[in-house]
Amino acid sequence: MFRRLSLRLRVFLFFALVALGGEAAIGLGLYLGYRRLGDPEALSAFVFAGAVAGFAVLGLAAWVWLLFDENVAKAIEALSARLRARAHADAETKVDEARAKYLGDLAPAAAAVTESLSETRSALAEAVGRETKRLATEKARLAALLADVPEGVLLCSPEHQIVFYNGHAAELIGPGHAPGLDRKVFDYLRAGPIAHAYERLLAADAADAASDLLCATAEGGRVLSARMRLLRLPEEEGGYPGYVLTLRDVTADLAVHAGRERLLEEIFDRVRRPAANLQTVVGVLGPEGGGALDAALAGEVKALAGAITELGRRYDESRASWWPMSETRARDLADGLSARLAALGVAAEVGAERLMLRCGAFELVALVSMLALRLREEGRGEGLRIAIRADPPGAAIELTWAGEALPVALLDRWLEAPLEAGLADVTGRTVLHMHGTECWPEPAAEGRAGLLLPIRSARPSATPPHPAPRSAVYDFDLLSRARTEAVAERRLLDLTYVIFDTETTGLLPGQGDEIVQIAALRCVNGKLVEGEAFETLVDPGRRIPAAATAVHGVTEAMVAGAPTIDVAGLRFHKFAAGAVLVAHNAPFDLEFLRRHEAGIGRRFDHPVLDTVLLSAAVFGSHETHTLDALCERLGIAIPEAARHTAMGDTVATAEAFLKLLPMLAARGIETFGALVAELKKHSRLLKDLN
Amino acid sequence: MHDDAARSVLIVEDEDNIALALEHLMRREGYRLARVASGADALPAIRRDRPDLVLLDVMLPEVSGYEICQAVRLDPELKAVKVLMMTARGNQMERRKGLALGADGFISKPFDVADLKSEVRRLLADSS
Repeated sequence: MFRRLSLRLRVFLFFALVALGGEAAIGLGLYLGYRRLGDPEALSAFVFAGAVAGFAVLGLAAWVWLLFDENVAKAIEALSARLRARAHADAETKVDEARAKYLGDLAPAAAAVTESLSETRSALAEAVGRETKRLATEKARLAALLADVPEGVLLCSPEHQIVFYNGHAAELIGPGHAPGLDRKVFDYLRAGPIAHAYERLLAADAADAASDLLCATAEGGRVLSARMRLLRLPEEEGGYPGYVLTLRDVTADLAVHAGRERLLEEIFDRVRRPAANLQTVVGVLGPEGGGALDAALAGEVKALAGAITELGRRYDESRASWWPMSETRARDLADGLSARLAALGVAAEVGAERLMLRCGAFELVALVSMLALRLREEGRGEGLRIAIRADPPGAAIELTWAGEALPVALLDRWLEAPLEAGLADVTGRTVLHMHGTECWPEPAAEGRAGLLLPIRSARPSATPPHPAPRSAVYDFDLLSRARTEAVAERRLLDLTYVIFDTETTGLLPGQGDEIVQIAALRCVNGKLVEGEAFETLVDPGRRIPAAATAVHGVTEAMVAGAPTIDVAGLRFHKFAAGAVLVAHNAPFDLEFLRRHEAGIGRRFDHPVLDTVLLSAAVFGSHETHTLDALCERLGIAIPEAARHTAMGDTVATAEAFLKLLPMLAARGIETFGALVAELKKHSRLLKDLN
Repeated sequence: MHDDAARSVLIVEDEDNIALALEHLMRREGYRLARVASGADALPAIRRDRPDLVLLDVMLPEVSGYEICQAVRLDPELKAVKVLMMTARGNQMERRKGLALGADGFISKPFDVADLKSEVRRLLADSS
């Protein structure tokens, strides 16, 4: 209850209580004294004494209260009000230390806290401002970069809303009217192939998977070759990812190809038959002629017909190769097919082996679902099964049903009909043609009939090709840096570092010990560059002692076939070009490298920093400066399995180095030259380590 | 002259020159011969004459060789009739398609006369 009252009121009540208590004690004491005396004549004297004592206590309590109220209660309230104003309203008010002079060190302490808070806030605001400006600049540079990419780039949300497009995408998908942000991409591109590719990539659930597809603009009939890649951002884990579409206009390419294709097809159709017929006729006549001229004629005709036949065969084989296709998992194709058939109301059992097919997935799904639908309409849908199976050297899509075989003439009619395949004028025959294949009725098990559609190219899906790293690596700050500054003058945060570690056969390079492993990381502008790591085993050209293997785990079997130090050292030198080398106890590692400079053909004359000395500069020479001790002090955990592996120790050294840099800056050491001067004081430490 | 002399062969070929050469060759081999020039006429002729072998071109006007082959194979009464398909576009897919539809043999043009004769003999020997 009392906590709701103000501090001053509570102090007042406290003193009032003290005064009242004093009055009551005086009254009670005088009363007891009077009774003990037992003399009624003394009453007036007791009353007088009580009145004097009572007024004195009352007066004393009031005076002390006034002093306390003025110098303590009011001072505390004023101090707390200013602290709150500073904390919550960021008011630039100073603590009035004179007013709080009776509060001991409280006022100076509060002043120090508010000062520190103010400085932190300023630094934070400055940092936020700097980072915001940097991000805005990087955003502008990225936008400029993407605007200049010669392909259209579209970024879409999981709901297929456009969230980014570059100028080329605008030209491709919305000629005459720019596409709108937050509008559906399907307003500009036909939905089928895009939605289908998105579902396939979601089902594939592979981080680096991409899907090539062919789609057409909703208006204008442009045909675009597209590559879709899912965009999984760290903060969006768990939800559906957006995607990036890179677009290229292939209308003209396809038109040129299609025109040439038609011409080639006509040439072969018109030439192949007469040539074949000619050879047959001459062959039939041949034995009866008998003369040399007849033999010459037969030979030439055979050569001509053979050449035409061979060229025709090569044409048939390459017919499908110009059409843009992607690798699709057979199971993803089966899933797409199941979904499409369910939408069409066609019951079918769909299965697939573990295969990767090279095909136009959307077009194939459209074709096979059309066939299934027509089969059902023809009364051949009972017990319909669709299987995607290996059919060396490719695969085959097999449709089987309970009932009679399908007349090939009926199948041909179905294949001539247009398909809903996202592109204009696409028929089933077109899809077969683009895949360089055919489709025909195939005998099936007893009481069943089937259709077979071979896919020319397929492979087992157990051995997927390793995706190439594709992340963009950039640091635009490099553009604005004055590259010519001498290293000594350069700010530590502006330098490029290569943090490295080596594992060796032993500790004595002078007695034949050699490097067995090198690992390194690059640090640019105070950040480790993701994706720029160097790691190699090195054949030391000698035996690796078991004691050394027990430390770093590198065995003789592991280094068999690895590059020698001449090759590995040159690769490492190239990786470290232009950087400051950083290592924990750097002279040890450098000694191993420098002994091979002649064979490597390069000198390791980089500027060098040693984290042993950095640790001494920050924590003082009296501390332990082993990598383990340094990491423990800085709160860096090194997994036991990674300790004493080249990359494990490199990561630990890099993390320690990045934490030491701001600590050095806080001590006023901001340039490389200043740091080197400081480190010279601690160089004797190196002798004591390792 | 050999044992197959009395065997009958129907040539289904729309191109007169190649049909002429085939007739010449088959006649020289001693087979009884008939020829139709269109796909539409082929099936009635096969049903009427029941030849031992049909030399069937794939690319025919109106009704394709594949249709004729399938119809022959689906007709139980024509079970004994052998079908040898011929095409100038002898790629693997067409060969598989022809054999799947029931052709007993598939030969690509241009064919070696000796190969054709031996293929015809093999099929007629199978049917005897």
